Amino acid sequence: MKSKPRASNDRLLYLYGISATNPNVKVTASIHGSAAVECLENSGLTAWFSRVPDTEFGEKLAANMENLEWLSGASVRHQRAVSQISDLVTVLPARFGTVFKSEESLLQHVREQKGKLSATLARIEGTEEWGIKLFLNPSPPASPIEATSGHDYLRAKAMVQVKKRTELDPDVAEFARELQAIAADSAPAGKVSSGQSNLEWQASFLVRKKDRPKWDNMLKRYATRWADRREIQCTGPWPPYSFV
Amino acid sequence: MPSQTQADAILAPHAPGEEEASLLDILDHVLNAGIVLHGSLVISVAGVDLVYLGLNAVLTSVETALKHIEQQSLSS
Repeated sequence: MKSKPRASNDRLLYLYGISATNPNVKVTASIHGSAAVECLENSGLTAWFSRVPDTEFGEKLAANMENLEWLSGASVRHQRAVSQISDLVTVLPARFGTVFKSEESLLQHVREQKGKLSATLARIEGTEEWGIKLFLNPSPPASPIEATSGHDYLRAKAMVQVKKRTELDPDVAEFARELQAIAADSAPAGKVSSGQSNLEWQASFLVRKKDRPKWDNMLKRYATRWADRREIQCTGPWPPYSFV
Repeated sequence: MPSQTQADAILAPHAPGEEEASLLDILDHVLNAGIVLHGSLVISVAGVDLVYLGLNAVLTSVETALKHIEQQSLSS
């Protein structure tokens, strides 16, 4: 592909991801305002990016990532754009906040990493990411701790709390094994949401599209079995963010 | 009887690109393989609930981010 005139100095390249082919379809969502989503092809790979101002994505990027308001808006825009691309073609999503200084540096990166990028694209072909969370239904208050002294009380309370944190319910372990048996891969999840109340367990899974019926049936079986005890939350399909 | 409602509900998952996907879910997935933030943050979900989060974090300048990409790459 012939390269466009060099971007003006105030424009950085925000990378959404890499795909093996270019479907030549317009993507409307973008990381910044009305910035267009563009494609660059090189070494048989297509890079998806937008031109963004260095005032926001340059030196200030680190500070912006600490600013939750900015981070929230940008994450949602990033997700919308990557999701749209993902609907068109298998895309290896870039890490959030991946910025290149020029087309040259982006293309150089693609060339240098071609082997790894192609291998990862082959691995995620035909798959989607799904997020699974288990929430315990609020249980009736535990029976009061019986203790004859304050010291005994605190010790008993500490034991109850430790038990809560460390032991994974055998039913949940079995559920996790069944999910893993169907999924192509799994990954820990929830760096952000781990503080949600009553959250018992969560993980992300890479599921082959052809295995969706099996996957859905399994979730349905557990949802029925656990109706009174815990709630299964399933989100997706996501681009394979957690598996690249 | 088992709750048919719940079983049905999880089989009609919302598309993450749409309004129903919570900000929390989006942050979870989008940031899972990327940056991690330090400190205790407050996230407003749907402009209503406040969820307190203890986030571990990596804060990178563009330069170190680029270096990081060169080394670890987009592909594991």
